Amino acid sequence: MVNENLVKDVVKEPYKYGFVTDIETEKIEKGLNEDIIKLISQKKEEPKFLLDFRLKAFKKWQKMKEPDWAALGYKKIDYQDIIYYSAPKQKEKISSLDEVDPKLLETFDKLGIPLTEQKKLTNVAVDAVFDSVSIATTFREELAEHGVIFCSISEAVKNHADLIEKYLGTVVPASDNYFAALNSAVFSDGSFVYIPKGVTCPMDLSSYFRINSGDSGQFERTLIIAEESSSVSYLEGCTAPMFDTNTLHAAVVELIALDDASIKYSTVQNWYAGDEEGIGGIFNFVTKRGKCLGKRSKISWSQVETGSAITWKYPSCLLLGEESVGEFYSVALTNNLQQADTGTKMIHIGPKTKSTIVSKGISAGNSKNSYRGLVKMGTKATGSRNYSQCDSMLIGDQASANTFPYIKSQQPNSEIEHEASTCRISEDQLFYLQSRGIDFEEAVSMMVSGFCRDVFNQLPMEFAAEADKLLALKLEGSVG
Amino acid sequence: MEIIEKIKNNKSDDNLTEIQKICFHKLQSNPLPNPKSELWRLSNKSKLSTFLDYSVNEKDSKFDIPYPKNSQSTIRLIIGENCQIKLIEKDYSIQQLSEDELQKYIKEQISFFKQNENWSDLLNLYLSCKNNILGLIINGSKIPPIEIFSHASSNSLNAKTLVIFLEKNCDIELLQVNLGKENSSLSQSTFFCLKENSSVNHGVVSYGENRSNLLNSLNVIQQKNSSYNLGSLHFKFNYARFEINIKQSAGNAKTNIKGMQITKKDEQISTYTKIEFNGPNGFLDQINKSLADDKSHAIFEGSIIVPKIAQRTDASQLSRNLLLSNLAQIDTKPQLEIIADDVKCKHGATISQLNEEELFYMRTRGITLTEASKLQLSSYFQEIISFIPISKDKWDLLDKLLNEN
Repeated sequence: MVNENLVKDVVKEPYKYGFVTDIETEKIEKGLNEDIIKLISQKKEEPKFLLDFRLKAFKKWQKMKEPDWAALGYKKIDYQDIIYYSAPKQKEKISSLDEVDPKLLETFDKLGIPLTEQKKLTNVAVDAVFDSVSIATTFREELAEHGVIFCSISEAVKNHADLIEKYLGTVVPASDNYFAALNSAVFSDGSFVYIPKGVTCPMDLSSYFRINSGDSGQFERTLIIAEESSSVSYLEGCTAPMFDTNTLHAAVVELIALDDASIKYSTVQNWYAGDEEGIGGIFNFVTKRGKCLGKRSKISWSQVETGSAITWKYPSCLLLGEESVGEFYSVALTNNLQQADTGTKMIHIGPKTKSTIVSKGISAGNSKNSYRGLVKMGTKATGSRNYSQCDSMLIGDQASANTFPYIKSQQPNSEIEHEASTCRISEDQLFYLQSRGIDFEEAVSMMVSGFCRDVFNQLPMEFAAEADKLLALKLEGSVG
Repeated sequence: MEIIEKIKNNKSDDNLTEIQKICFHKLQSNPLPNPKSELWRLSNKSKLSTFLDYSVNEKDSKFDIPYPKNSQSTIRLIIGENCQIKLIEKDYSIQQLSEDELQKYIKEQISFFKQNENWSDLLNLYLSCKNNILGLIINGSKIPPIEIFSHASSNSLNAKTLVIFLEKNCDIELLQVNLGKENSSLSQSTFFCLKENSSVNHGVVSYGENRSNLLNSLNVIQQKNSSYNLGSLHFKFNYARFEINIKQSAGNAKTNIKGMQITKKDEQISTYTKIEFNGPNGFLDQINKSLADDKSHAIFEGSIIVPKIAQRTDASQLSRNLLLSNLAQIDTKPQLEIIADDVKCKHGATISQLNEEELFYMRTRGITLTEASKLQLSSYFQEIISFIPISKDKWDLLDKLLNEN
């Protein structure tokens, strides 16, 4: 028998991004009402259409009920006890990185995201979001040469209002769900990417989200538009300090791919997950959706979810264009008292559309890990195909793994295949590895990494290595 | 919906039995299932209300079994007609459950029932009068095959209940046939209690005529080392719901389920299964097939629940679906809820149409398209039909299914 305690010891690595940056911040008062929304809009000097968009969303949100269908249990969120805008105080306008508060730069340095161009990450442009605002975006000039727009959404609202007005809320409408409506009403910042026709983005783009204060929520919004025959790979990373209160994170991500365009969106989510007793941690309610509008367009989601006390996240693809392709590759790891209800939706609307879902869930400790997915073939989706595979691995006898795939077909000339399995770390394999001189912890992490290989193969280079390491760290002490 | 109005307005008849009263009260606060709940959200509301529109018929007109007897030894029973059953032979005995035992058992079951989850059973037990409840206790060995019939007469709603206790080391073959006449509603609840080391090959064949409706629910409790095999077939109903609840009360039991539903025209047939393992070493092998044609709708939802105590459970579930028309639809949702770590659980689901390559192959060998699709369908059906015990060949179920295509 594998030693239970040994395995438990494998997941106990402390959260190393849990520090707080002591920095003067500008916060508005707690609570949510029309005046607060007007205040946020005013602070960001937004055009009228956006304020109207926010107010309309707020009205809808007020009429909506918080969803309770997910297999999650958490204490009720008091939406009036949250600060909806918090920004580090800095000089009025930043013209170059030199003017950014060194403390902020230091924070991102500590997180392994250097923003100063001398130390720049090789060939990755970064947009760093701290609480409610974007601090800096690197490599802008170089990207501009190719016509690529990569900036914070607040800047885009000022400089590219036409694009924002045209696309914002077209993939995730304000009334889509409770958390999307909340985000639409109060979103403070996020990233905006526009890839013009025929351009292959010369480098990977990346956003780094950092929650710093304990009482403010983060509500960012990302919008990526890939014009005809363009392509882009986008990475997203998240961390937060350790607080014993729960912080709300409700983001919306919208992707639009036109004819022959391709968007690859990768996430490594490592929000603070709370301690072993389940105190503190981020409540992560995210709506991510991509629209394959054009013919032969492609949207690929890959995610590694290791953090958050609560994860509620279903990156989806609306496959409208003929022969468009949707992909979803996910690894979700839960430990201690974490709860994750995550999966995807593949809505096949256009003919000859294809989608692939590969989901790997690992639950350890007392955690709960659910896969919830929808595959739908509409009446016009002739010749469409879907393949889904969701595997769960259970570590310890207290963790639970659930699978809820919803499959619906209205098109006889289409094919759907779904398979799911649940297993544990095989003792034979462990024994074999140990008999070859590999120590227990390494053997476990090798096996977990092997279990997730299908997904890791889809991650961009920089992330794949990080994800592997992250998983090994998170699992330290938990396998038994 | 006269029945629902009655419950809502607290108009109970004076001559209700105790069980009927309990169910009546349980339904009172919410006489209808919650249409937004997972179990009922896909159910066609107008069809359900048609089901409830017929007035309750407690006395049936004479019923002639439409099928020839397979062999002389087969025991045939009709729920609602057989008043006294007492078969005591050298090797076995089949007797009616005493009034007290029956009441006690049903009451115990009801105490676990939830308004929404067990709505069909609660309604059934509220509507079933004493005559329409058949309780049997079966003991011994070398028991001849048993056939039990349940039917609804035209223009009425009939509610029938069957309770079977299978004693230790007992081994039976049982075929349950539910027949719906034109414009009728049949509510059938079956309770099965399998004692240690017992084994059942259970067949459920439900088939209706024009615009008949069915609510069929099956509750099985399996004790240690029991084995339960179910082959089921539902077809030709305007609206039918088959709910299966199986509980392996102490694990160490075997369950095999092979079910099929066929929908045509604008029919809706759904199967909901919930299998719970309350002990270690449980085994489940389940396959559910659906075929949807014309404008019909076939639904399958299966959940497997493996709590912490159910270590070394081996469960697999497969949902295979054929969608044959542009206007038909299929919903399927196999689900796993697992807490125990030393388990082997898997499920799979596919939706497609007939295999074109196979059709092409047969046509190159001179077989017409109609014949070729019939051949394919017959192999699709055969896997399930061959699993239904007794009478399966004599009735020519396969021919019936194929020729109606």
